[in-house]
Amino acid sequence: MIARPSVLAAVVGAALVLALPAAFAGSAADPGVGATTIVIGGTSPLTGPAASYASVARGAKAYFDFVNAGGGVAKRKIDYRIVDDAYNPAQTVQAVRRLVEQDRVFAVFNTLGTESNLAVREYLNQVKVPQLFVASGATTWGRDAAKYPWTIGFQPSYAAEGLVYGQHIARTRKKAKVAVLFQNDDYGKDLLASLKLGLGRSGSKVVAAEAYQVTSPDVGSQIAKLKASGANVLCIFATPTFAIQAYVFANRLGWRPLVINNAVSGTSNIMVLASEGGKNKLVEGSITTTVLKDPTDPRWNRDPGMRQYRALLAKYAKGANPNDVYHVYGMAVGYETVGLLRRLGANPNRAALMARARSISSARNPFLLPGVSVKTGKGDSFPIQQGQLQRWTKGRWAPFGGLWTSKRN
Amino acid sequence: MLAAAFSDFMQQVVSGLASGGIYALLALALVIIHRSTGVINFAQGEMALLSTYIAWTLTFNHGWSYWPAFVATLAISFAGGIGIHRVVIRPVERGSLLRIVIVTIGLLVAINGFVVWQWSGEPQQLQSPFGTETYDIGGVVVSAHDIGTIAVAVGIVLLLWGLFQFTKVGLALRATAVNPEEARLVGVRVTWMLALGWGLAALLGAVAGMLTAPTVGLDPNMMAAVLIYAFAAAVLGGVDSPIGAVVGGLLIGVLLNLLSYLSQYGAFDWFTEELRLPMALLVILGVLLVRPQGIFGRPAVKRV
Amino acid sequence: MSPRVQRIIGFVAFAGFVAFVAVLPSFVSDFKAREYSYVAIYLIALLGLNILTGYTGQISLGHGAFMAIGGYTTAILMAGNEQFGGPISGGMKDLWTLPIAGLVAGLAGLAFGFPALRLSGLYLALATFAIAVAMPSTVKRFEEFTGGGTGIQLFGSPELTGTISNVDILGRSLTPNDWMYYLAWSIAIVAFAVAWLILRGRTGRAFRAVRDSETAAVSSGVSLARYKTLAFGVSAAYAGVAGGLFAIASAFVNPDTFPIALSIFLLVGIVVGGLGGLSGLVFGAIFVYFLPLWAQGADLGSLLPDRIIEETQKPGGPAIVYGIVLILLMFVLPNGVGGLFRRIGQLITSRRYSRSK
Repeated sequence: MIARPSVLAAVVGAALVLALPAAFAGSAADPGVGATTIVIGGTSPLTGPAASYASVARGAKAYFDFVNAGGGVAKRKIDYRIVDDAYNPAQTVQAVRRLVEQDRVFAVFNTLGTESNLAVREYLNQVKVPQLFVASGATTWGRDAAKYPWTIGFQPSYAAEGLVYGQHIARTRKKAKVAVLFQNDDYGKDLLASLKLGLGRSGSKVVAAEAYQVTSPDVGSQIAKLKASGANVLCIFATPTFAIQAYVFANRLGWRPLVINNAVSGTSNIMVLASEGGKNKLVEGSITTTVLKDPTDPRWNRDPGMRQYRALLAKYAKGANPNDVYHVYGMAVGYETVGLLRRLGANPNRAALMARARSISSARNPFLLPGVSVKTGKGDSFPIQQGQLQRWTKGRWAPFGGLWTSKRN
Repeated sequence: MLAAAFSDFMQQVVSGLASGGIYALLALALVIIHRSTGVINFAQGEMALLSTYIAWTLTFNHGWSYWPAFVATLAISFAGGIGIHRVVIRPVERGSLLRIVIVTIGLLVAINGFVVWQWSGEPQQLQSPFGTETYDIGGVVVSAHDIGTIAVAVGIVLLLWGLFQFTKVGLALRATAVNPEEARLVGVRVTWMLALGWGLAALLGAVAGMLTAPTVGLDPNMMAAVLIYAFAAAVLGGVDSPIGAVVGGLLIGVLLNLLSYLSQYGAFDWFTEELRLPMALLVILGVLLVRPQGIFGRPAVKRV
Repeated sequence: MSPRVQRIIGFVAFAGFVAFVAVLPSFVSDFKAREYSYVAIYLIALLGLNILTGYTGQISLGHGAFMAIGGYTTAILMAGNEQFGGPISGGMKDLWTLPIAGLVAGLAGLAFGFPALRLSGLYLALATFAIAVAMPSTVKRFEEFTGGGTGIQLFGSPELTGTISNVDILGRSLTPNDWMYYLAWSIAIVAFAVAWLILRGRTGRAFRAVRDSETAAVSSGVSLARYKTLAFGVSAAYAGVAGGLFAIASAFVNPDTFPIALSIFLLVGIVVGGLGGLSGLVFGAIFVYFLPLWAQGADLGSLLPDRIIEETQKPGGPAIVYGIVLILLMFVLPNGVGGLFRRIGQLITSRRYSRSK
């Protein structure tokens, strides 16, 4: 193997190839804060089983582009780097290391996915890089904030959400039999556990719970098993693709339970897909909770926040579907981030960023429902701890019951 | 109680036949290509995916109604299959097995990438032409889509069988698969027959994809698992046997659903849904180790 | 050119390569050093796969699974699996897990190699493919042992040498990335030397005999069962060590760290690199690691016009580029890049020596 002249050629070749990227190695700058830019980065499932969520990053980027067009924050433009991790934590690990060590981002922002964020939390906290506004509601972001001070969430916790569903069922149904489809990771298990807590000793209980993997092709057999349990309530704690499948399969089996669809899949664009062009009647009466303004809700037609949303999306995210509610989430978190950066002033540093992130008090986010406030403080690590229950009625979400607030951290 | 159990059981059998029908179609595509060109087409699933997206974009973005879009998609897929054979496969057909495998893998990656690039990774809905109704047949609830799927799968298999058995083209195809050199001697245009094989396979894949999408949702990952089940079916039935592909597909569809159904009972409760795919793979491994030629295949004779 | 002269040139070139590898980190950024350590890791896996496919002609589409076995062995030995309900308490230093990772994977390879004797060509490819696809799901199924979908976090654990602070070794203070680089490349060079020793001797000749014609090999007294199984075991062991190093480098494993795509890309790596020679394998490793990144426009940003970058950076674009490059490479370089180097090498030498008879 060695004894051939080819090795010589190869050494030369390898030298060229290996050195080539080196020629483009970036210079070691301050982490992320430049004279005219501030660099933040995050991963997003642009491809893969959770690609519905790519719109979150798109929405945030549109908002940042808008702010940049107006001069940026403290004369710095926000350079938001989005990297695809295909909802695969193994890829998130590589991508985040790259963002921190090569792109030298100021903060890792809005990385999406509970498992993805868990995979990089240890690393980011050890190298002291902010893991800002993670796009996940896992309880651990709040519960373990003391251990991981560099990590903070954004959306309401799954603990709060599951509790609300459980309490709603307990209040409105006597001795309901609840079946649960859940994603077999911390996100799904979180919701399942808090649902059970919410049901408490009411007489309604979980009679069947089936898990699926993100890499599963479909949840047909899980739904079949859940139906066989005789349940009359179905809780879908699943990401959009699987939530839609749950509706389709349940309907095909002739099963008509009350459906509770979790917030991360309970957006109107997903419900429309699940309704199979209006033919799937199972969607009628579904319940979910939300904090976002829905672009398809006529209530917000004249709302200045949603007007801005539509304008920004049209201008900075060409081709993006304005009815896709995940864009709204992205803009909401973009709005809070810009507010945070503004409060940091002319010389931002990472420690100050986290300190301010733990003392937010913002009540007028134009993309969140009126009355929902973004607040953190001592002992309160979840920026948003409220929500609005709503019921899918004739192709649209109709709110009921007023805003709920959770005291849990 | 027993009646409920029985109707659940039958429900699983019916939906198992429906998904098995889809596996059978894709397995048939794999077998046709393997028989004629000796290639295992790893890109078969993605080709089917592309066809399904074409059908979807015709109906959703261009307002076509379902059946015209269906026919147009079949035509485009057929042409596409022939095109892929002539442009991508022919140059490497005679090369080493490894080279061909890598080329089909390249196709897989490129086609899937194209689908994501063109239509984004977000899930879409392709509606079933059979509607969403369910029928109650003797206590067993079956969906119109499942029945339609079984009907279409059976229909296409019969049509294909008719093509192979009763037409000149079919005869030429079979001759090419058995012995291309001798077929050429009797005047068969062998290269076109090979391309035709690819065209037919693409067509089968398109149907499989269009039947899959209404159930599991249309997104770029849709066909990955179906392809693996199709491999299992093809291996089980024998990679050179079309009958084997069909039987294998139905068997796998029903078998997996049965295991799922039985897993609620003590003896089978080790079977969690995570094991569904590995089970199919175990079938592949088991068959390969015990009887590599599958149920209907003939043992391979190696040239020295 | 006499074999002796060839051998000397070979050694010189190899020494040159080792020197180059040793010095490279001083010239590139810290993060690049980490990236190049992944190239070394893939090189180790490719060395193993090369023994199996290049030398005994057995196609494996499943070497990612052996990497997974090695990677999880390392992770479980380091972090233990008691927190999931498993029996192992962990606490082993990362370096010591590597030989064990290799051993466990090697045994798995032997275990598979034996029944695999009945399979050839396509059927073997399908069987190994099945194993690789089944591996992630199987790992998830045995949650108490492997940590299931959440995986095993290694970053910051005391068993890991070099997480944030510098590593002091042999009188020098290395950054964690440089440490990883030297660790991976030292093992890669040792692995190469071992492979060279195995292959130049009787075993290597037996391997090649098996590849060229099994029937002829048998009639010359080469035991098929022994050498084919041995090849599987050895190549799996290499993959296991690579997997263990991968776990250490990423400081994290979960079932999707070693997906079917990895197995496919390893096979792609040796075919593109060219079966047989070391030079090709280095290129193959670079290809496996860097092409997906280059396809995304990373690192090459300033070379290509913006419009092209924009289109290829759209999700899906990199995959299209990757697939097309793969197909074109198979058309143009059927013997891989290694084959190209060989031909260039032959051109250089034969012109100079064409007169000598």
